[in-house]
Amino acid sequence: MKLRAAIASIVLLVSVAACGGAEQGPVTLRMTTWSANEAHVRLFNQIAADYIKAHPDVTIKFDALPVDTYTTTLTTQIAGGNAPDLAWILEGSAPDFVSSGALAPVDDAIENPSELAPSATALWKQDGKLIAYPFSTSPFGVFVNTDLLTQAGQKLPTGADWTWDNAIAVAAATAAKTGKQGLVPRDFDYKDWTNLAPIFDGWGAQAWSDDGKTCGFDQQPMIDAMTFIHQAIFTRKAIPGPGVAADFFAGESAMTITQISRASLLKDGKFTWALVPLPAGPKGTYSVIGQGGVGVLKQGKHVDAAKDFLKFFTGDANSAKLAQFFPPPRTPQLTADTLARSNPLLSKEQLQSVVIDGIANGVVKPSHANNAQISQAVRAALDPLWTADAEVPAVLKGVCTAIQPVLAK
Amino acid sequence: MTRAIKRQDRLTAYAFIAPQLAGTVAFVLIPLVLVAWYSLHEWNVLANTFTFSGVDNYRQLAEDPTVPRVLRATLLFSAGLVIVNLSLALLLAVLLNQKLRGTTVFRVLFFSPVVVSLVAWTIVWRFMLQDNGGINSFLDAVGLDGPNWLRSGGTAMAAVIVVQVLKNVGLNMVLFLAALQGVPPELYEAARTDGANAWTVFRRITLPLISPTILLTSIITVVGSLQVFAQIAVLTEGGPGTSTTVLVYYLYQQAFQFHAFGYGATLSVLLFLIVLALTVVQWQLRKRWVFHES
Amino acid sequence: MRAKTTAYGILLVLCVPFVFPTWWMVTSSLKPNADIFGRSLWPSHVSFAAWHDVFTMQPFARQYLNSAYIAVVVTLGTLVVASMAGYAFARIRFRGQNALFLVVLSGLLIPSEVTIVPLFRIFNSLGLIDTHWPLILVPIFGAPSVLATFIMRQFFITLPVELEEAARMDGLTRAAIFRRIALPLARPALGAVAIFTFLTSWNLYLEPIVYLSSKSMFTLPQALTQFTDPYQGQLWNVQLSAASMTAIPVLIVFVIAQRQFIEGLAHTGLKG
Repeated sequence: MKLRAAIASIVLLVSVAACGGAEQGPVTLRMTTWSANEAHVRLFNQIAADYIKAHPDVTIKFDALPVDTYTTTLTTQIAGGNAPDLAWILEGSAPDFVSSGALAPVDDAIENPSELAPSATALWKQDGKLIAYPFSTSPFGVFVNTDLLTQAGQKLPTGADWTWDNAIAVAAATAAKTGKQGLVPRDFDYKDWTNLAPIFDGWGAQAWSDDGKTCGFDQQPMIDAMTFIHQAIFTRKAIPGPGVAADFFAGESAMTITQISRASLLKDGKFTWALVPLPAGPKGTYSVIGQGGVGVLKQGKHVDAAKDFLKFFTGDANSAKLAQFFPPPRTPQLTADTLARSNPLLSKEQLQSVVIDGIANGVVKPSHANNAQISQAVRAALDPLWTADAEVPAVLKGVCTAIQPVLAK
Repeated sequence: MTRAIKRQDRLTAYAFIAPQLAGTVAFVLIPLVLVAWYSLHEWNVLANTFTFSGVDNYRQLAEDPTVPRVLRATLLFSAGLVIVNLSLALLLAVLLNQKLRGTTVFRVLFFSPVVVSLVAWTIVWRFMLQDNGGINSFLDAVGLDGPNWLRSGGTAMAAVIVVQVLKNVGLNMVLFLAALQGVPPELYEAARTDGANAWTVFRRITLPLISPTILLTSIITVVGSLQVFAQIAVLTEGGPGTSTTVLVYYLYQQAFQFHAFGYGATLSVLLFLIVLALTVVQWQLRKRWVFHES
Repeated sequence: MRAKTTAYGILLVLCVPFVFPTWWMVTSSLKPNADIFGRSLWPSHVSFAAWHDVFTMQPFARQYLNSAYIAVVVTLGTLVVASMAGYAFARIRFRGQNALFLVVLSGLLIPSEVTIVPLFRIFNSLGLIDTHWPLILVPIFGAPSVLATFIMRQFFITLPVELEEAARMDGLTRAAIFRRIALPLARPALGAVAIFTFLTSWNLYLEPIVYLSSKSMFTLPQALTQFTDPYQGQLWNVQLSAASMTAIPVLIVFVIAQRQFIEGLAHTGLKG
């Protein structure tokens, strides 16, 4: 008798567990992000609250993970059977997520898909289907602490004089005079080398060929670009060396290269600042964009509910709100006037020159399938470069030796 | 003893060992079989597939240009650790074995890092080994220009070894101290009357008599050195380059950072074989090397 | 006399790298972030701001509790499992004794790092990822407790037979002999096992970072490395404050019971 009861309860349990996928009753959606920025989180929660008004049985949780280990943590959660319902995806790992089938196609979950700029969605499509929505297409620009420059008697070069050579010279001089740091390539920290792309793209350098099969580190443009960066660090002392922390937004450096979504960090800035496009490199003017996509995970528990929220989150109205931090992929919203309404910190000129022109002509930061493995291999092989007496061409050749087998796969 | 009591004893014994036995089977032996099985598979987390891939992972192991470097780093680390650890432990034990007042205090001080949380200890050292950190600023004060310890190949490995030795050398020190105190004083007196100097006494009498302890501690230290993970993860993340990427760290990277679980399992098999080989070698050595009085 | 002075001199110099880091950890955590890289051995003015930040930046109290309760449960569990198994292997004759002992000893030969990938998959299929179960079950029953069993067996082997025979005369069962006679005598061995099991659990790093992914589930060692602002790099004084809070309580207990700690740990062979 007891045994039969036990079997019955097990059967019951199993059937309950099996039915877990059916969407009935209250649903909690979890979205992983890499921004714990208060202003960002406040906006997300506000959008979620608007959604919940119409869907009282849904709760939405934003789970901010540290950006430097974001993809690893997300993948571990998926491996651990704890996949979020929606996730932000960094451009670097876009090929991995798009091609693996981990994400559910979202064509039917996007309002007015014809508005999306093709340059914004290129990375996120497979076989004509949109796999993730590029909620942020954020160009890199240079933020300048004009107070520090004035203090050091330096002037920010403009027009044709705004070149890498001059930028580094001003950064070096300001650092030397003020005792602060010069130019900080943000989030590089001698680890995430993809954040050097805003510099080396100015030399026309590529990490690998467009088809992703041939290493580009040992090519002349990359050698020239890395030689320039190496000198900027060790000879001209314009870029802080390994292990030296300096936060531009706390007033510790003259300039920083970063995406414009960081402008919100200047909200209560204690210094005057400027935002300018990337300086011209030997190959002329250019721009680089970083992208963030948001997708629905097939292994999540509430795929349909997640898609429905995605439609709301990325719709015209909310896209306009998100635009104050994350430049949207919707072409009607990509005008200086529209953006200016939600970006009180930036002038129309800044928005036009850095954001709109940047998105129109920008090259996306490097990405490749097997991203984690390749990035780590490049990072390890680049390490010898970060000493004063490094032989740049030899180190870069070493990078290619390390990654060519994986690229060729 | 009656048969009933014997039977009852037996049942008690089985009941007593059951939890440990079940645990060993479930958490050690079955996983060991599984690790070999997984090494023949590819588990793609994003695509949610688990497919048989034959010897692909082993082929990758043979061709992976990083593996020889990882093995070299592992060897360098283990050898460096054992040599520095045992010599320092022996030196400390000999010093503490002098009949000095206050040796208890010194013993406590040398031992204290053993009980300091491992990650806390490593974080402090990382802090002190920064380019502008405590060590370089003290070197600076005496007019020396210290290197960027954790960012250049040679010094990073040395730093990892030294930090680990300082953490745990107290254990070996205490074992050596006990061994030293077990050497009969008559032997020393006899040697001195024969006119032997201190070094000769140490080499001819002390060292052979404590050789069993040296062997024991070297076994523990070598096997322990193969398992070092937190120190590497916190101090250097395996860098600069791959210079401090030891096998366990590489295994972790492949399995849990790159999510190449199949290849990670293959590296686990390699780690197991190394530990197994070491154990066999040490049993052989034990027969030949250890001093026997008879 | 000169030899003595030399010995003291060497001992004092050698002491520095052992003691200084702990000193530096605590004093630097009390310095304001601006002069954290300063050379002064004592903060110019003591600031507990970073100690406070530890609790606002992460659920540190919760993480502290996680580490503490896991270590206590693992220690108690290991004591039970290992003393029973150790006693049975040492004092009772039964069929298959040697073979089973060898099976158990395999746990000593196979480092837990080797089996971490399959264990991850096993706990994953049981839905126990991001729970504390793997950190509790594996140490109590798996490879880490085998060393404890081995130590307990070595101890019980040395117990005089007469004690047990006398108890037999009084009609005690095996289980009663174990509980009332053998276990109380084993207090030193139990103490040693308890100390090293607690410290091993308290220090565990690889397993937590593999199994746990949400901050409120983290254990201390894992939490210590998370005091970084993704936009501002290392927050040294906060990290060092958290490290101090992790290290100091154990150090205090150590100083009070130094003899038990040193003898216990040295003779149980904690990892080199």
